[in-house]
Amino acid sequence: MRLKEIQRTAHQAWSPAGHHPIHLALGTSAQQLDASFNTTAALEIFEVDFSDPSLEMQLKGSLPTTNRLHSIVWVNFGMGADGTGGRLVGGSENGTLTVYNPEVIMSARADADAVVGQSDKHTGPIRALDFNPFQSNLLASGANDSEIYIWDLNNFSSPMTPGAKTQPAEDISVVSWNRQVQHILASASPSGKAVVWDLRKNEPIIKISDHSNRMHCSGMLWHPEVATQLVLASEDDRLPVIQMWDLRFATSPLKVLENHTRGILSISWSQADPELLLSSAKDNRILCWNPNTAEVIYELPTANQWCFDVQWCPRNPALLSAASFDGRITVYSVMGGSLKAQQQSTADKVTACSYDTIVPPLKKPPKWVRRPVGASFAFGGKLITFENPKQAPVQSPQPVPRQVFMSQVTTETEFLQRSRELQAALQSGSFNNYCQAKIQNAKSDAEQDIWKFLLVNFEDEARIKFLRLLGFSKDDLDKKVALPRESYLACNHSLCPSFEDTDGLISQALLVGNFEGAVDLCLNDGRYAEAILLSISGGEELLKKTQQKYLSKQKNSISMLISSVVTQNWRDIVQSCELDNWKEALAALLTYAHPEEFARLCDTLGGRLEHEKTEKRCLQACLCYICSGNIEKLVECWASQRESSTPLGLEDLVEKVMMLRKSIERLRNSEVAVQSPILAEKLTCYAGILAAEGSLGTAMTYLPENTDQPGIMMLRDRLFHAQGEASVGQQPPNSFNRANVSTAKPAPAAAAPKAQIMQLYAPCPSPGFLPHQPFHQPQPMLIGGPSAFSPPGPPMSAANLSGPPLQPSSSTPGGMPPMPSPGVPPTSFMPTTSIPSGPMPPSSQPGAPVPMYPGGLHSQGPAPPMASGPYVPMGSGYPQGGPGAPAVKPFPAPAVAPPPTGKWSLCIQKVPDNYTPPAPITAPVMGFPVEAPQPHDHAQVPPGAPQEPSVQLLQQLPAERVEQKEIPAEHMVLKSTFDSLVQRCQLAARDPQTKRKLDDAAKRLGFLYDKLREQSLSHNILNGLHEISRCVASQNYQRGLEVHTQVVSSSNFSEISAFMPILKVVMTIANKLGV
Amino acid sequence: MVSVINTVDTSHEDMIHDAQMDYYGTRLATCSSDRTVKIFDVRNGGQILVADLRGHEGPVWQVAWAHPMFGNILASCSYDRKVIIWKEDNGSWDKMYEYTGHESSVNSVCWGPYEFGLILACGSSDGAISLLTFTGDQQWDVKKISNAHTIGCNAVSWAPAVVPGSLIDQPSGQKPNYVKRFVSGGCDNLVKLWKEEDGQWKEDQKLEAHSDWVRDVGWAPSIGLPTSTIASCSQDGRVFIWTCDDPAGNTWTPELLHKFNDVVWHVSWSITGNILAVSGGDNKVTLWKESMDGRWACISDVSKGQGAVSTITDTQQTEQ
Repeated sequence: MRLKEIQRTAHQAWSPAGHHPIHLALGTSAQQLDASFNTTAALEIFEVDFSDPSLEMQLKGSLPTTNRLHSIVWVNFGMGADGTGGRLVGGSENGTLTVYNPEVIMSARADADAVVGQSDKHTGPIRALDFNPFQSNLLASGANDSEIYIWDLNNFSSPMTPGAKTQPAEDISVVSWNRQVQHILASASPSGKAVVWDLRKNEPIIKISDHSNRMHCSGMLWHPEVATQLVLASEDDRLPVIQMWDLRFATSPLKVLENHTRGILSISWSQADPELLLSSAKDNRILCWNPNTAEVIYELPTANQWCFDVQWCPRNPALLSAASFDGRITVYSVMGGSLKAQQQSTADKVTACSYDTIVPPLKKPPKWVRRPVGASFAFGGKLITFENPKQAPVQSPQPVPRQVFMSQVTTETEFLQRSRELQAALQSGSFNNYCQAKIQNAKSDAEQDIWKFLLVNFEDEARIKFLRLLGFSKDDLDKKVALPRESYLACNHSLCPSFEDTDGLISQALLVGNFEGAVDLCLNDGRYAEAILLSISGGEELLKKTQQKYLSKQKNSISMLISSVVTQNWRDIVQSCELDNWKEALAALLTYAHPEEFARLCDTLGGRLEHEKTEKRCLQACLCYICSGNIEKLVECWASQRESSTPLGLEDLVEKVMMLRKSIERLRNSEVAVQSPILAEKLTCYAGILAAEGSLGTAMTYLPENTDQPGIMMLRDRLFHAQGEASVGQQPPNSFNRANVSTAKPAPAAAAPKAQIMQLYAPCPSPGFLPHQPFHQPQPMLIGGPSAFSPPGPPMSAANLSGPPLQPSSSTPGGMPPMPSPGVPPTSFMPTTSIPSGPMPPSSQPGAPVPMYPGGLHSQGPAPPMASGPYVPMGSGYPQGGPGAPAVKPFPAPAVAPPPTGKWSLCIQKVPDNYTPPAPITAPVMGFPVEAPQPHDHAQVPPGAPQEPSVQLLQQLPAERVEQKEIPAEHMVLKSTFDSLVQRCQLAARDPQTKRKLDDAAKRLGFLYDKLREQSLSHNILNGLHEISRCVASQNYQRGLEVHTQVVSSSNFSEISAFMPILKVVMTIANKLGV
Repeated sequence: MVSVINTVDTSHEDMIHDAQMDYYGTRLATCSSDRTVKIFDVRNGGQILVADLRGHEGPVWQVAWAHPMFGNILASCSYDRKVIIWKEDNGSWDKMYEYTGHESSVNSVCWGPYEFGLILACGSSDGAISLLTFTGDQQWDVKKISNAHTIGCNAVSWAPAVVPGSLIDQPSGQKPNYVKRFVSGGCDNLVKLWKEEDGQWKEDQKLEAHSDWVRDVGWAPSIGLPTSTIASCSQDGRVFIWTCDDPAGNTWTPELLHKFNDVVWHVSWSITGNILAVSGGDNKVTLWKESMDGRWACISDVSKGQGAVSTITDTQQTEQ
């Protein structure tokens, strides 16, 4: 296909292969005149720019010359590192050999001479020129009278000869350097004789002649790759052939390429592909041969003129230039294409439509388009590679193996190692060891802190250990309280820098719940108001003692902490405390905060710390979130400060999240699914990296479930199918964490559906939560039908695949939630279920194990099965608010309980049989200038006692409820039974406290009725409620309480917390009153 | 580590020119100068010949798998100037469509992202690029960009489907307004970007850095970042990484990955877009990865499917 064309009668030289951009040098031809008989001569350099689709070539430089040329070459010699320059060497008709600097010609600089060397050594026209491919400074030239010179461009003045002149003297028409052996040169003359010279011996070593005397040698070229082979072209019309010789059999030609009908004028052998040999002849044709097979593989579409010079482009192997006697230089491509398309952009210049033909490419693809090697990535970090032997030995008996390698690429060694460790820990359930190892290997203190907190979640007495990690130790404090006061003055507690002296001690005592100590300290310091206030919380006896002391002395002081302890207003603390005191605030929460509020308060504190946006604060916030078990916030906070897009950064995060999740699951004996967009994103990213590293199975376990996000669903689908048959026998994709269930503690009938657990974590009931969905199975799409190609949506079809027949949806993902069996007595919960939630009526369960003041429980009685001490569940079996949530307050202890031993006995013996504190004492509490306004209901709450769960929240809810539906008829019996029970009790009740409780009960049962109206209660709970209702109707309250316990222990606490506690209270009262 | 997990003996009778896994990595398609395309089931380390596709009359240069949502579809292109689209129906593979609109060797085929529907780009030595879009009922719509690369187009690669303006968030529900783009490389030493506007393909960018034929181009998969990345490799031994940060896609910056001593034939991005496999003359296969500070480093030399992997550290980076 014709690409460029210019009107010139000239010899041509392409710039060398290393030269960029491609240039073509044209020197006016000798012995050719046009009709103008113009005899001027010039050397011109054109740029061959193929980004310009026109046929034009841009003239870059021109130099008038005195002589016309018979030959011209462009050599690498003197070429710059940037691939420009080199030397042009022209052989003229009068025997002058001239060396030009093409850069000077192109820059047209006046100060530099473009001619850098000239010699008149030759006596006649120089028709032959060739440069040595190994030493670019060596140039051979041939002229009349058997003259051959070897020129050194470094020392141009004194050429050598390859040996004695051949006799008889004749013209030298061609010289050619061997392409493999650098000291071998061949020359040929029109007589047909070729001579091979060895420059080391300085003599001819072989002469080639076919004795026909008809070879009229116009061209000779060495084989580009085979050292002993060369071709000779004959200009004689009687023998228009190319002979291929092998010097190993130099008696006759190896092959004769016959196709031209008239003498051959020029040949060129592609250096890029030895199977491409060009020839132009007087039959007006340009042919391309495969010299190995002697067949013509291509014929260029040319004009009807002889081409006296054809040249492959050294740099672009698809290009060749041809110089014709009609005065054109044309650049062709052998890759075919449409001429018309080429010239559309130069339509104005196209005079004829004769070029409107499709030019086919070479019949056989040239070597340079045959890709020999490849490496492509595939899903799962697979690399597909193939290679081909460089040059297969000719006619090798062994067939070449044609192999494709499939390899696994893993680049994140450390990531994979850590991921394996995490996976092993998750599967074996050895979380403690895992956390311990993490603590030991932690690179920073902050990292170590986080792992310590995470570890605590797996241990008993987590709350105390949290306190210890925060720097508050009960034992230490006990000792200090016992010491003379003077010694404290010297002891500045390093972990409590903001509280000094007595203040500090009081604070610490309060933070760990040591009322007695705090009161003593207050008294010793003369802080009677505080002492009295504290003693109210500390118990009747302490109160009396304190009051006595107060009567003898009198002083005053205020602290927010005391206020908060007394009023239970922890929101103020977390909202307004100095952030430097976050540890104290968190410690206070751990000690005091109501389980229902604990998580929210921790999160509030964490949120404030996080808001500072410093790394230190965010890590502290992370600790808060770990205490509260808020995975989502932990992820958000962590991701905001730490790099979590790199594999290792992500691994850091995922390790913590999985451990926190496991600790929560351990507490709840069930799986935890967190529907958090950011966590889902991080886990998807994590799974993506695992997949990219080839850990497809592991990746599947981390991929978030229950998602309709296309990206996640596609990855899941891809992972599933990519695992091939291995995945057929596998558990369904979302059997996530299943393996770990067995390693949990003996599971009571307490596992709840994940959906319900979810709600525990949601700050408010998440309306967007969807019931567990099986793996999305998209609609199969039938290929071929038009509908199959409607705008494709994200879901992908697995149809039409011959992949594993088992779809992941074929079994119930996530499994059925283990339904608590009503018949199974929740024995393991017995010790704890008797512990009431919230304030305890004085008559509750005499003789039941007394919940110790936080931290003390382990010293007596059997440990609750799920968590000891601080984790005493709210009667439901579900710890509320997070792993670090504190236990129920100590006040519920019944008055008749035997005084436990231990130093905290004072606290325990305190029995508030009054629900409201005595007015005279409450009043001063109200009178304190507390920083934050106190909610109105605080006056109703005994100081030091926790509020009823979510009193405020619950009271606000009804106001927002606009329309009320009817209670379904089948559940009306519940309302009537319970309402009448409350009414009966109200009639029978005599003391005001009981009446108040019953009033409250009437209100709170409303929440049950609301739930019934919404029909939002689970089947299990409804059954339980009906059973309780039947017991109440038959006045069998004892049985009713048993059923109550069962329901509570097998249900999601958040679902029932609004009404179940009060139901128990009512039944207990009813039992006592005997109504 | 790069370790061989399966060696497939293709029994091709001549040089292999391409080997591509399907979307799931369970099937391997190969093509060869012996004019055949072969498909192997390679699940679980096996190598079962599923199909031996004959139809081309010249060396087959490339194969490309369509997204599985369209079924099992494979495209192949050949020196015989044809593009053949093969499809599996009930376990047997047959020609679905044969495109003969090119006048010279078709060097490259690439399926567009599934979001665009079933669309195939073909680059040919005739300098043109064809875009074949399935319109249903066995009909294919053909658009041709003539003279895309003078002397020939060697490679085409699609841009991932992203919506302009919101490169990260893609609204669900309504069909997003994707802009179709692809990159091509050719014998004019150029890398060109093409964009569809109002149903017409237009040259969007012309990237100049190579000094010889561009052998291959690869548009990196989107990893959710607004940066677009393209790798190009050339006869001149150079591999460039082109990046574009501006949403309009107008400013592309080249970074020289490496200058090899031999022609570089092929570049391939990992699925997650963080590793580039470069294959070149002398059977040289190398893997490259971008370090945290944005510099590219060779992490592995792969020979016959085997190789060690070195980790990039910042110190190594500064030493280089």
